[in-house]
Amino acid sequence: MKGVWACIASVLRTKVAEQMAYRSHFFLSVILLIAGDLLVPMITLLVYRSGASFPGWSMHEALLIQGVFGLAKGIAFPLFFGMVSSTLSLVREGTFDLLLLKPRPALFMTMLNGLDPEDFGRLLSGGVLFGYALSGLPTPTFNGWIHFAALFAASLAVLCAFSLFLSGLLFRWVGSSRVYDIFDSITSFGMYPGTIYAKSFQQLLTYVIPVGIIAFVPASALLGRTGWGTLGAAAAAALFIAAGIAYWHRMLRGYTSAGG
Amino acid sequence: MRAIGFATYKEWAAYRSHMAVSLLVGPVYFLVQFFIWSAVFQGTTSLNGFTLEQMLSYFGIAAVINYLTFDFADWNLQMLVRSGKFVTFALRPIPHWLFALAQKLGHRSLGFLIEFVPVSLIFLFIFGIKLWPTLPWWALLSVSLSFLMNFMVNYCVGLTAFWLVRAEGVRRVFLLLKDISAGLFVPLTFFPEWTQKALFFLPFQFITYVPTRVFIGHYELAGYSIGIPALVALQAGATAIMAFLMLALYRSAMRRFTGVGV
Repeated sequence: MKGVWACIASVLRTKVAEQMAYRSHFFLSVILLIAGDLLVPMITLLVYRSGASFPGWSMHEALLIQGVFGLAKGIAFPLFFGMVSSTLSLVREGTFDLLLLKPRPALFMTMLNGLDPEDFGRLLSGGVLFGYALSGLPTPTFNGWIHFAALFAASLAVLCAFSLFLSGLLFRWVGSSRVYDIFDSITSFGMYPGTIYAKSFQQLLTYVIPVGIIAFVPASALLGRTGWGTLGAAAAAALFIAAGIAYWHRMLRGYTSAGG
Repeated sequence: MRAIGFATYKEWAAYRSHMAVSLLVGPVYFLVQFFIWSAVFQGTTSLNGFTLEQMLSYFGIAAVINYLTFDFADWNLQMLVRSGKFVTFALRPIPHWLFALAQKLGHRSLGFLIEFVPVSLIFLFIFGIKLWPTLPWWALLSVSLSFLMNFMVNYCVGLTAFWLVRAEGVRRVFLLLKDISAGLFVPLTFFPEWTQKALFFLPFQFITYVPTRVFIGHYELAGYSIGIPALVALQAGATAIMAFLMLALYRSAMRRFTGVGV
């Protein structure tokens, strides 16, 4: 485990140094990430400002969901999501083989290669939004926080699983940057209160394609709106990441390199 | 121009699965909007001048118009400048902006077949969105002007690469602001009054908001209600000004450009 952390720290140091060669670009990109992540909350704000609302959800409650989404992305994107872009470029260039030659598991090397310190900026936007949303709500109970922490871990597992599915897909669907569009469109269901969807669709979004676990379920726990039913959601997240790991390795076996 | 457009069409046809992703992404985004606005409209019949049906039409029409006017001239130009490949264009007998426009025509012709037509049919038959414009000829003219405006705004962003070492950050910031100001994420009438007034005088509304409102047959922003012919005339004027700005910036960039052998 110590070796794993040493690898991560070393790669992060190198990547930060690399980014510092283009400092203005780095800071601009971080600002952009923050601005981009605040887009959906801005729309929520505009909707509530015009006197409308999501039925049964106050503005702060709705923003809490989007804040949790931002926090989850702020952790998952710099750590796991770079896998997608590194698989995309390395497979296209035919240099993915270099990762396979290294003395660590291929999945870990792919993740390491994709570490992206720039994406930590998302933590800031998510954190600010989360704090703002909480400031307008009653203080959550201790149990609520414990419940939230467990479900937040499930949320990270779901995002990690998504990155594995998308990265695995790129072994066959070489060079298609549109996997990001697929991810953004599907996960956009998870940025709003789950109660706006039909009951059967809510079940689909919690247990089959568990985007509801990314933000809605943890935020509901913090608001004290969930019960034991969330255990099922946590199990769905565990199954989803297991499926993601299996899928990634299966797709890797099908990787034929540039030699065909 | 026809040869460049046709070559681009054939080149992208080889990557048609890349474009065909829109058949999933477009309807999924629309489904999200459907749920959001259906929930929001539960307690009210009208919001900032939109009924639920009009709101869904707005997003449906904006999405399909976006397939017709989509552009990445900015990315392409910045890549050419950064990689040094622009030098080959400096030697060609047509200006690069014309080449890029021809490429866009070819790319969007394919987009028309792979994205616009199927997604429109999905919106029409599954979501029941009325995609026939109230004033068809004015709508066609407005979408054509929006096509040009989007290209020229993006091309100007791409031209910043001649002055900046790494212009990607600027490009992404600008494009995000452009999409917000164009009304891609939410109709511009949802913004506060002072923002609407500012947006009224910026060219971005002519990319998405104006053609969508021309499609619907009614325009309103910042308290101004303008008839469709006058609105399209205003759009034509704004497009002409943008063309003038783009050409001036292009000439200035060409004066600045240095490359091996040029």
